[in-house]
Amino acid sequence: MSTPTSLEALIEALRCLPGVGPKSAQRMAYHLLQHDRSGAARLGEAVGRALQALQHCQRCNNFAESEICERCASPRRDPTVLCVVESPVDMNMMEQTHAFQGLYYVLMGRISPLDGCGPRELGLERLLARAQDGVVKEVVLATNFTNEGEATAHYITALLKPSGVSVTRIARGVPVGGELEYVDSGTLAQALRERRVCQT
Amino acid sequence: MQRQRADAQPAFVLHTTPFRETSLIVEAFTRDFGRIALLARGARRPRSAIRGLLMAFQPLELGWAGKGEVLTLMKAEWQGGQPLLTGQALFCGYYLNELLLHLLPREDAHERLFERYREILARLGADPTGKVREADLRCFEKALLQELGYGLTLDHDNAGRAITATAHYHYRMEQGPVLLSHAGEAEGAVLGRTLLDLGAEDFSEPRTLAEAKQLMRSLMAYYLSGKELETRKIFKELQEL
Repeated sequence: MSTPTSLEALIEALRCLPGVGPKSAQRMAYHLLQHDRSGAARLGEAVGRALQALQHCQRCNNFAESEICERCASPRRDPTVLCVVESPVDMNMMEQTHAFQGLYYVLMGRISPLDGCGPRELGLERLLARAQDGVVKEVVLATNFTNEGEATAHYITALLKPSGVSVTRIARGVPVGGELEYVDSGTLAQALRERRVCQT
Repeated sequence: MQRQRADAQPAFVLHTTPFRETSLIVEAFTRDFGRIALLARGARRPRSAIRGLLMAFQPLELGWAGKGEVLTLMKAEWQGGQPLLTGQALFCGYYLNELLLHLLPREDAHERLFERYREILARLGADPTGKVREADLRCFEKALLQELGYGLTLDHDNAGRAITATAHYHYRMEQGPVLLSHAGEAEGAVLGRTLLDLGAEDFSEPRTLAEAKQLMRSLMAYYLSGKELETRKIFKELQEL
């Protein structure tokens, strides 16, 4: 007996998730249908609702339910500092530090020339418009310390320079609580190159 | 198919692409084996020892084993000494990598080109302003064509006469320089001096640099058979800012 078409379609659909191959997709589909039908209904509804309700916040470009997300609308945040990150996950990490009170701009990607992702694909002109709203005084670049993150940071710096806002880059080096013995050589070498004068 | 094994092979990563949930496919340029594709298992796991190591433009030593088109990466060690590329230099690095990815066939050793690549990266990294040295790019393009067997004819024209510094030439693909009666006779005409300087890798003359750039661009476009380079597009946008 062949698998019914709707079951096949469900298995195929589940495969779009990261790390889910044909075997796990099949297991998930049978689990949903056999043991957790209400869970399956919830899942279906939640996906549909999220797809419909979520849009990109007009100010930070992150996912939001309204045109302007709660964080961007909050009067407690400092609107003069704008932190640029690659992804929503990066933004969450920055928030966890409790060290940043400003606003964000989420790029939803990075410049990666060899993958065919350039400034145009990234929609950097929206960031330019956002940074030039007259309120933002400093843009903090918190893109990753990979070649792609650096390329993105360089491009944004060149893009924002004529507008007169100050552009800064987060520092890199030995992690907090890091013992030199266990730090990787690349990080240590870069920390050494970017050493700074001690002040008393 | 023969089983391959290599250990502590000097190499650079040209490009990586995610593979499955936690792995990477690494396109590497190695000294003794040329361009190869390696599967780095688990390289994207948060605590992987080689996460963050398989970065382009950094000298590495790689070890691998396996057979077929994609080999398995067994070991990667950071060699150091090369500062991370920044600014414009970074985009230049991408340009070199894109050329190698498009033009260099897999598993063809090019030791001299590898050394050239290493030297240019060192020079690009050494300048903290990240300024591009056009001359370096031209030398690399020339070396690349030479290694691929498309070496340029720069000391005599297609009729076998020595190049005259003050005469005008049109570089015809796969034939070499053709003497022109005047500069306007063909598009992209270059001065004999440019050809001679390019041969001697002397770029002190601004006109040489400008003409060599145009000449190399048309040669690259020819050998890339119409493929447009992403890095060039981005570089152009960057310069228009």
